Amino acid sequence: MTEPSIITSFWLWQFLGRLHPLIVHFPISLLVVALILEIYSWKQKDKTIQSGLYLILLIGTFAAIISCVFGLLLKDQDEYTSSTLTTHQWSGISTAVLAICTIYLFRLSRTRDHLVKVYRVFLVFSVVGVGVAGHMGASLTHGADYLTEVLPWGRDNPIPVNPNFDLVSFTSDATDQPMKESQIAALNMEVRSIFAHNCYKCHSEEKTKGQLRLDNKDLVMRGGKHGEIFEPGHPEKSEMMRRLLLSREDKESMPPKGKTLSEKEIAILELWIKLGAPWPAGSTEKSIYRVAALASRKPAVPGNDSELTNPVDRFVNAYFSEKKISWPAVVDDRVFIRRVYLDIIGLLPSPEKIASFIADTNPARRELLVKELLNRNDDYAQHWLSFWSDALRNDYSGTGYITGGRFAITDWLYESLKTNKPYDQFVKELISPDKKSEGFIRGIQWRGTVNASQRVEMQAAQNISQVFLGLNLKCASCHDSFISNLKLSDAYAFANIFSDTTLEINRCDKPTGKMAGTKVIFSELGTVDSTLTVPEKLKQLADFLTAPKNGRLYRTVVNRMWAQLMGRGIVEPVDIMDNEPWSQDLLDWLASDFVEHNGDLKRLIFTITTSKTYQLQSVGIKDENDIFKANYLFKGMHRRRLSAEQFADAVSTIIAPVYPDTVSQFNPFKNVKLVERQNYARASLVKNDVFLTALGRPNRENVSTSRSSQASLLQALELTNGNTFNNVLHAGANKWREKYPNNEQIVNELYKKCLGRSPREAELKNALRVLGTSPDTESIQDLMWAMLLLPEFQLIY
Amino acid sequence: MGYAFASGVSIDLLTVDEMNNKWNRRKFLQKTSAAAFAAMASGLPTSMLSSCTAPTIPAKADTVILLWMAGGMAHTDTFDPKKYTPFEKGMQANSVLSTFKSLPTALDGIHFSEGLQSIGSVMNEGTLIRSYQAADLGFILHSRHQYNWHTCYEPPQTVAAPHIGSWIAKQLGSKNPVIPAFIDIGQRFTVGEAEELKAFHTAGFLGSEYGPFFIPDPSAGLDSVKPPIGMSYQRFEKRNQLYKDLISNSPLGEFGSDYQKESLQRTMEQAYRLLKSPESKAFDLSLEAKESYDIYNTGKFGLGCLLARRLTEQGARFISVTTEYEPFKGWDTHENGYTRLIEMKKQIDQPIAQLIKDLKQSGHLDRTMIILASEFSRDMMTEGRPEAKVKEQVDQPDIITDIKNYGMHRHFTDGCSMLLFGGGVKKGFVYGKTADERPCKSIEKPIKIAQVHQSIYHALGIPADTHYVIEERPFYTTPDGNGKAELELFA
Repeated sequence: MTEPSIITSFWLWQFLGRLHPLIVHFPISLLVVALILEIYSWKQKDKTIQSGLYLILLIGTFAAIISCVFGLLLKDQDEYTSSTLTTHQWSGISTAVLAICTIYLFRLSRTRDHLVKVYRVFLVFSVVGVGVAGHMGASLTHGADYLTEVLPWGRDNPIPVNPNFDLVSFTSDATDQPMKESQIAALNMEVRSIFAHNCYKCHSEEKTKGQLRLDNKDLVMRGGKHGEIFEPGHPEKSEMMRRLLLSREDKESMPPKGKTLSEKEIAILELWIKLGAPWPAGSTEKSIYRVAALASRKPAVPGNDSELTNPVDRFVNAYFSEKKISWPAVVDDRVFIRRVYLDIIGLLPSPEKIASFIADTNPARRELLVKELLNRNDDYAQHWLSFWSDALRNDYSGTGYITGGRFAITDWLYESLKTNKPYDQFVKELISPDKKSEGFIRGIQWRGTVNASQRVEMQAAQNISQVFLGLNLKCASCHDSFISNLKLSDAYAFANIFSDTTLEINRCDKPTGKMAGTKVIFSELGTVDSTLTVPEKLKQLADFLTAPKNGRLYRTVVNRMWAQLMGRGIVEPVDIMDNEPWSQDLLDWLASDFVEHNGDLKRLIFTITTSKTYQLQSVGIKDENDIFKANYLFKGMHRRRLSAEQFADAVSTIIAPVYPDTVSQFNPFKNVKLVERQNYARASLVKNDVFLTALGRPNRENVSTSRSSQASLLQALELTNGNTFNNVLHAGANKWREKYPNNEQIVNELYKKCLGRSPREAELKNALRVLGTSPDTESIQDLMWAMLLLPEFQLIY
Repeated sequence: MGYAFASGVSIDLLTVDEMNNKWNRRKFLQKTSAAAFAAMASGLPTSMLSSCTAPTIPAKADTVILLWMAGGMAHTDTFDPKKYTPFEKGMQANSVLSTFKSLPTALDGIHFSEGLQSIGSVMNEGTLIRSYQAADLGFILHSRHQYNWHTCYEPPQTVAAPHIGSWIAKQLGSKNPVIPAFIDIGQRFTVGEAEELKAFHTAGFLGSEYGPFFIPDPSAGLDSVKPPIGMSYQRFEKRNQLYKDLISNSPLGEFGSDYQKESLQRTMEQAYRLLKSPESKAFDLSLEAKESYDIYNTGKFGLGCLLARRLTEQGARFISVTTEYEPFKGWDTHENGYTRLIEMKKQIDQPIAQLIKDLKQSGHLDRTMIILASEFSRDMMTEGRPEAKVKEQVDQPDIITDIKNYGMHRHFTDGCSMLLFGGGVKKGFVYGKTADERPCKSIEKPIKIAQVHQSIYHALGIPADTHYVIEERPFYTTPDGNGKAELELFA
């Protein structure tokens, strides 16, 4: 921004400068008309209008010169800067020069015929010049998108004001406690987004009315021609607020054209000023969002408590002390064995197993049990197959398979889980894949045209970012992200790694003409050589992302595992790893310990499940969204619900197979038929169907990293009268009737198998009443149904 | 509060308009008290109320019935006939515009293709749109165009886009609490492009609570709302009572409330009540009077219309009845366009007309919006649209010698017909026009899917900027919230 020069302080120059928009109408119209007349006279071979033409040209040229002069005067009034101005200025001056030449050539050509053509060429160029200059000029006064804005295809997406922004929480919190850093950042972001949406047209780099810019922190604070636009702490004394509240007719009202600010937007600005116009210190355009540290970190394990030997417990102990939470009680053996069975291998423990575990006096029995379960490789793999298939969007059926646009990775995935493949190796094989593991990064190739942000290279970039790095790249796939520092060029540069040709950057599905660079999303991890072939680039990328110094990769997976076992991650949502963890130390330690021990997922599970923390009494949550609240306090494992697969498998084991081995889509036992190992197919091995969908198994068209355990009416209907469930219950009831001679046995067995305990007195009485005097299939079936729908059965508590 | 939104289901419960306080106070009180009663009756947790209350536009309709002509219904052989060119061996393919004669309808100057006389006779009850334009998705694939029609978004999307029925179910909830808000009749998911169909028959990120309740076979509709096969109502009662008793004795109750436990119990209660309710009789087609049943009984679709009528009378919210999409069957005429359409028109003509007449008689028509639509139209020659032709999928000979090549076989996206009845639309109104000569594209007032969706939402009183935040992105009912209802369609 240039300082106003002395010359403009004289009122005459200011006045003449302001005549520029008036005077330019003359060269614009007259030069164009001159050209039209020239064409007319040429076509009609009519020379009589030549004299008129000359006069028009003359006035037009003269006016062009005057326009330049006045324009230079106007420029110095400091309202406009930028490249658009420069182009406008030079095209205007060129136009004047061309017009002068045109006039001169016109006169010469009256007597020299061979110059007529040259004169015409110059006339055409003059008109081109005035067109360019005129267009640039209008861009300055009306904004570059003035015309395209109203075209149906020309809509540029403005930065939306976050409609979810909860103003109320600020006004009530503000009086009680000092605002959290994240709240200040959020409020500031709102303010800046309001500026962007409503004010940038006239108060930014391109156009700076009143010498005021609102697109830069220092410049906002500095104010404009009349000084500062607000007084921190005093909205009532602030010029900006005054202008915003004026009536539309008042010429000082802001914004002067277009939408007025909504009541809410004005309230946000008012609040912001009231709170002292906080703009997070040290922040430039970039660091307004919380960005988690990338590097690995190994905090020292705190405390010297000889009772708490597991480092997890030590960190949680530090957390509890800080938050003044006393350690809740640990659960008994019966609850513990049920939990770990479900969490590690996805099956219920048999009554015999429960009994022997409870009877065991070995103080290390819990650790031994966990070890034993972890060593059941096939059971483990068949359980965790669901979690990883959700995350890696892997399924036996779905869009794209039939047309060769999508590839399953079940074989590779199962093998990796069964052999407990080290995590870095696991990730490497997905990013730099062979035929068996390439399905993940190949995405779903759709036939026909697809939005640019969904081409397979972009899918790869988005999915890898989400699953392995806990980073949402989807916003930045169409435009610069509104909710993080990521730019469109960053997303494309990352996607370019997966492409064999250089991608052209598309903004909101429209080509921009700019080509993508090549850059790892966290560039400090390394530089991928863009001249390599795709497989070579992928190998580099895989090495960079799995390097131990990429703490984020390991924190992300550790957090996911914690969330699976505890019901809520240390960071939530688990796909937004930039959010604040409830214990940074715990998260960092778990991640670095995980790396130190070779990325051993089973060992990680062991560490967590043998901690006292895991074994605490479970905590209930009233509302599904409570875990996302900013004031969340960790107090132990959350009660969770059996997944669709766990429910189906439990029913298959206790009652009757829900899925016979014949419908298994995958045989994990290489040389042996599935049926020889187990008489049913675990639900993770079968295609998704109405039953599993109703119980929450996702359609894996997109990556899914968490499932909702909210029940729905459709689910209840499926469980109440669905054929699948009903048939299984019927078959099971028949079996039980034959197997158990008397009712009391049936009830006891049912309670032990389903709930892991014996029935209480009242429960036994109740059940026997329903069963009647002799075992009958229907009543057994109904009792089974009721038991399986009990929360005590459905929940992992 | 911050920016901690779920990557899974994250619900932002207020629309921009609600926050701008543009409520009409009286309407708000009316609606909240009504909604509160309904919610309490259905046992909805009150935290869900704020999304159900006070639409800012007065609703003209409470129920939507979508009559889905799956497979691409040729406009020139149905609701927008052109010059009739009867089959002659050796005729030029290019000369064929309509393979049926056209007959007058109840609307002056408007003709329908032969075979649609019944619908023609009630056309004065609704609006005829002749200028719908389908999206340009490159290679014409039914599933992608159906996805686009039903969700208003083009696949693939970064998040699972909800079906329009799910949006409506979420915003307005059930009308009668015991009837599922979104019912989908007539489509099996075991045929053809089942996987692709599943991709949009979903509530997507809104949560499975708002997903479709499937009734693939309307004559077996009752099975979905009856106690399980082989279970008498008595036994059903007993079983439910047992369940209640077990729960009250359960030790888990000592632990306090959990949303999983609470939602499980609540929904089981809802399911039980639905199965026991008098409204569930609406699902039983055998209870319909024989004369009426016979009129509707032209096939699965016709019976689907009957079921839709019965459900509407009991208070349904959104019902979709489809002729069913199975590749190359139904309206998807890659050959035999003429001969197949005789059959298809028989299937739809009487039932649809009767549906409208019946609803009018029972007084439901005004508050029920009925839409008949298809994912795109058909033409003998053009695949795509004139300005955006795409790869041809049908071998259409230039000279026709076999009747199997006589008909509209290519996928034409530029001029499609849509019918609207009830829900406040104009009666006896024609919107838009297509050319009389090939290409029979929209030449007046073209209308696209976002406008169609917003018009439906407008009729229901759902604001145009309705959206939720998913993975930190505001996801609107129509892309970027830019759709606008076509008010000219409404009286």
